[in-house]
Amino acid sequence: MNIEIKARQRKTKRLLSLVFFVAALLFSIWYIEFDLIGFLTGIPIFVRFLTVDFFPPNVSDVSNYVRPVLDTLAFGIVATFIASMVGLIIGFMMAHNTTPHPAIRMGLRGIVSFSRNVPFLVWASILVVLFGVGSMPGIFALIIFGSGFLSRVYAEAIEEIDPHTMEALDACGATSLQKLKHAIIPQFIPGFISWTLFMFEITIRASAVLGLVGAGGIGSQIKQTMDLFQYSKTATVITIMVVMILVVEFLTQRIRERLI
Amino acid sequence: MKIPIAHKSTQRQQRFFFLSMIVLFIPCMLYLDLNYMQFKDGLSRIPDIVYKMLQISFDELPELLAELLTSVIVAFLCIVISVLFSFILAFLVAEKTTPNRVLSNVLRVIIVIIRTIPTTIWVLLAVASMGFGPMAGVLGLLFPTVSFLVRVFAAQIDEAGKDTVEAIKAVGGTWWHVVFNGVLPSLSTTFLAMIAFKFEITVAETVILGMVGAGGIGMLLQDYISFYEFAPLMLGVLTVFTTLFLMELITNQIRLRIGRRAR
Repeated sequence: MNIEIKARQRKTKRLLSLVFFVAALLFSIWYIEFDLIGFLTGIPIFVRFLTVDFFPPNVSDVSNYVRPVLDTLAFGIVATFIASMVGLIIGFMMAHNTTPHPAIRMGLRGIVSFSRNVPFLVWASILVVLFGVGSMPGIFALIIFGSGFLSRVYAEAIEEIDPHTMEALDACGATSLQKLKHAIIPQFIPGFISWTLFMFEITIRASAVLGLVGAGGIGSQIKQTMDLFQYSKTATVITIMVVMILVVEFLTQRIRERLI
Repeated sequence: MKIPIAHKSTQRQQRFFFLSMIVLFIPCMLYLDLNYMQFKDGLSRIPDIVYKMLQISFDELPELLAELLTSVIVAFLCIVISVLFSFILAFLVAEKTTPNRVLSNVLRVIIVIIRTIPTTIWVLLAVASMGFGPMAGVLGLLFPTVSFLVRVFAAQIDEAGKDTVEAIKAVGGTWWHVVFNGVLPSLSTTFLAMIAFKFEITVAETVILGMVGAGGIGMLLQDYISFYEFAPLMLGVLTVFTTLFLMELITNQIRLRIGRRAR
C-alpha cells in the first residue's frame, strides 16, 4: 500500500518535471525567436564555411605571428607569477586554519568571489578603457581573475592540511613560523605547483581571447584577419594557437608527473 | 645534530620549479616592456571612473534582465541540443560500446582539436557564418559543448559499464541491448550531474558572448563600455556577478543532492 503510494508520487514527480522541462523549452524557443529549421540547416552551412573558406590556410604571413605568440606566452608567465604571489598571500589569510582573524577571512572571500565571478573578458574591456589598448589591460585582467581563482584553490589546499601534524608541533611548543615551515609548507607545495601550472594553462587559453576586446595577445590577430574576411589567414592563426595550447598542456602535464 | 627528513630529490625538483618560475618571469617582464606612464595614467583615471560607477541607477535594470534571460536561454538551448548529439556520439566513442575502433579514435582526435579552440573563438566563427544574434551563440557553443559532454560521457561509460557490458555480450546481446539495457540505467544520475555542471560553465560563457556579437547581456555591457556609461555598466557587472554566484550555489546544491541519491 505504502509502496504503491510512493511509486505513484514518484511518477507524478517525474511527469511534473518533464512538463516543466518542455514548458521551459517552448518558452525559450519563443523568447529568442529560435528557428529550429534555420538552425539545423545552419549547422551544415557552418561546417561548410569552416572547411571551404578556411582551407587551405594561408601561410604567407607566418613570420608576423611570431611576436603575438611570444607575447601570449609572456602574458601567461607574468600573469601566472604575479597572480600566484597575490594568491599565496590572500590564500593564507583566507584559509580557516591560518587566517589571522575570521572577519578578514569573510571579507576576503567576498572580494575573491567577486573577482572570480565577473568574467575576465569584462575585466579586460573595463581595463582597456582605463589603460588604453595594448598588453597592459590584458595582463591586469588576467592577474585580477587569476588571483581570485588561485586564492580560492590555495585556501582550499591549505585547509586540507592534516591537522595532526599541526597539533604535534603545537605540543612541542613550536612557534607559528616553525609550524609554517614544518607543517604547512611541505604539505601545501604539491597543491601549489599543480594549481599554478593549471593557472598557466588557463592564462594561455584566456590570452587567446583577450585580443578580441583589444587587450593584446594572439587573439588580436584572429580579430584583425576576420574583420578583413581573410579567413585563410585566420585558419593559420587558429592552427598556431591550437598547437601552442596543446604544447603547453603537454609540458605542464609532464612537469606535474615529474614533480608530484 | 640535524637529521634531514625531507625527500631529497623531491626537494631538489621543487626548488628547481621555483627557480625556473623566477628565471622565466624576469625576462618576460622585460620583454613585455610595460610602460610606467601608461600605468600611472590608468591609475589616475580610477577615482573618476569609480565615482561615475557609484552613481548607480536602476533605470536599465529591466533591459539588463531581459538580455540576461536571453543569455541563460542560449545556454539552456545549447545544452539541450548538445545532450541529444553527444548522447549518440558518446556511445560511438566509448571503448566499451563503440562499434568500430577506428571511428572512435578519429572522433577522439576531432574532439581534442575542437576542445582546444576557446569557446569565444567558436562563437566569433559562428557569428561570421550566421550573422549576429542568439542563434549564432547557440551554434558556436554547440561544438565545444558537444565535445566536452562526449568526452565525459564516454569516460563514464568506460568506467562504469565494464562488467555489465561484458555480461550482456556474453549472453549474446546486441549493441542496442548493451546501450539501452546495460549502460544507460546505471549512469543516468552521473550524466545529470555532468549536465548540471556544464550548464553552469555555459551560462558563465554566454554572459560574455554578447561581447563578440552573439546577443545577450554581454552586448549591453560592451555598449556601455564603448559609450563610457559607467553607471549602468556597474549595474550590469553586479547583475552578472549575482547570476553567476547564484548559479554556483544552485549547482552545488544539485550536485550534493544527486550525489546523496546515488549513494
